[in-house]
Amino acid sequence: MTQPLLQVQDLHTVFSTKEGQVKAVDGVSFELNVGETLGIVGESGCGKSVTALSIMRLQRPGRIVGGKVMFKGQDLTRISEYEMREIRGREIAMIFQDPMTSLNPVYRVGWQVGEPTRVHNGWDAKKAFSSAVSMLGRVGIPSAASRAKDYPHQFSGGMRQRAMIAMGLTTTPHVLIADEPTTALDVTIQAQILDLLRDVNREFGTATILITHNLGVVAGMCQRLIVMYAGKIVEAGPTADVFAHPKHPYTWSLLRSIPRLDAETHEPLKPIEGLPPNLVDLPGGCAFHPRCAFRVEKCSRDVPSLLRVGDTQQAACWVTQSGTELKGG
Amino acid sequence: MIGPSRVAELEMPAAGIETAGSRPAQSYWNESWERLRANRIGMAAGTLILVMAVIAVMAPVFSLVLTHYQPQTINLLETFAKPGAGHLLGSDELGRDTLTRLIWGARVSLGVAFLTVAMSLTLGTTLGMVAGYYGGWIDDVLMRLVDTVLAIPAIFLFILMSILFRPNAFTLAAIIASVGWGTVARLVRGEVLSVKQRDFIVATRSIGARDSRLMVRHLLPNVLPVLIVAASLGVGQIILVEAALDFLGLGIQPPTPSWGNMLTNAQSYFFRSGWLVALPGITIFITVLASNLFGNAIRDAFDPRLKS
Repeated sequence: MTQPLLQVQDLHTVFSTKEGQVKAVDGVSFELNVGETLGIVGESGCGKSVTALSIMRLQRPGRIVGGKVMFKGQDLTRISEYEMREIRGREIAMIFQDPMTSLNPVYRVGWQVGEPTRVHNGWDAKKAFSSAVSMLGRVGIPSAASRAKDYPHQFSGGMRQRAMIAMGLTTTPHVLIADEPTTALDVTIQAQILDLLRDVNREFGTATILITHNLGVVAGMCQRLIVMYAGKIVEAGPTADVFAHPKHPYTWSLLRSIPRLDAETHEPLKPIEGLPPNLVDLPGGCAFHPRCAFRVEKCSRDVPSLLRVGDTQQAACWVTQSGTELKGG
Repeated sequence: MIGPSRVAELEMPAAGIETAGSRPAQSYWNESWERLRANRIGMAAGTLILVMAVIAVMAPVFSLVLTHYQPQTINLLETFAKPGAGHLLGSDELGRDTLTRLIWGARVSLGVAFLTVAMSLTLGTTLGMVAGYYGGWIDDVLMRLVDTVLAIPAIFLFILMSILFRPNAFTLAAIIASVGWGTVARLVRGEVLSVKQRDFIVATRSIGARDSRLMVRHLLPNVLPVLIVAASLGVGQIILVEAALDFLGLGIQPPTPSWGNMLTNAQSYFFRSGWLVALPGITIFITVLASNLFGNAIRDAFDPRLKS
């Protein structure tokens, strides 16, 4: 097995609030291999985005209080701010959720798409602009040469997200982190952007971390998937296996709460009971136990760790770790 | 290249929907300029200020060609001349030509006003930007400094300063700006705090931009509208302050003409030659009025907060 491109080890990121410390990322570990697409799934506020921002060291005002982010033999949590700036945009690029606000309204799109090459490659405005135009063409902006002179407000949401992707690619980074790249878009545009991300992954060999709350997106895009709940990874494994045999009750409930076209019976959808926990005051034991249909006495007492369950998957659950299958309704 | 067939397939709807209704590039600045141009009173006021500025800059030329007098040339044979053929706007107790002195006075008044605005904007923007961007103790220290500066009674500071430094246009501007930067810093800080929250700032950090780039290339253009508004509304105010200082003898010293010290000088001859009081007064009034009208027009056109 070759060395993973990016290794996150036992990452802890906290936010200090008036109510107390919020452990937004609480001991998260995962690996990203060259050229693969990894999905990170979870409800709002489960720590997906903070994990991504922590990799880029953009988690302010949060603080990384433990763990490592290994990339090309160095620990990104320890290198200087100067060295980190060389990584951002050049080695690891990021795409954000809301393309409406991710571009600076006062600059032409082409100027912004070319900005990473001005920052990292020291290109002059003209060279950066023409590279931006060709990159905009490659991500499917029609008549890119003239549209590059437009301002962001003249672009539709889908086009802006394309422009953001183009901006991320101008320096041909090794890792692309897409934080809910389709959440703010229309469904038809979502499909186009996902197609584009898949093409980018294939064409440029860019390893992608795709953060989403949409399991459907993960199914079509990712080889492997991580499910997060309350700052922790609760399940990880190959997408197909996780979808076929979820090994954590949270994943199991998530999958049951999506409508399916191929369902044989017309049962009502089953939402997950209860609300996501308050991160300042987590329930004892497994954070999911108050909402869990399979809980046993041990769940409210001890925190399960992420262990191998089955052949390919890992789960943090006392029930499945003891060999019980998740079934029923 | 991304597979051509795929691009075609993925482009078809996009091209149709997304380019429909595309309009010529209308930047924020274009739009604002159009709005400003539509404001007739504002444009008239702006033109007046511009004409004043040109006259001020060209004062030596006007002296030679139009009035044929120098501002400080005394002619005791033509004292208190009434406005007319010889002296277009009359002359004062030493026979100096009023129009010539008003023109040269514009140099002082407008010069000090623009210089003060430039100084307080530069200092205020820099410190406000740094305070808002870095936050934390830097913000605390800088903002307490602003509080302190704004708590000093300006007029006493002006009196003290003009005793310590011999007032000329430059020192006078520095003196007024030493108080004026405080409000600018506060304004810019507030604006930076709000712009800083916007996603494109994180997005720009994520491409590896350094702090200086974020502040100068990304934050500054976004706070520029409020700066333009602050600058244009500031000019009128500063003209008044400067005239008041001159009038009190704390500003530009005679014989150099300024609108303020021309007024001081004319007090004694109010009943004898009313125009000596009226003319500088009217000039100050018109200039300040035009500055404020233009400032309001600029605000209506540029202030992003007034847009729906």
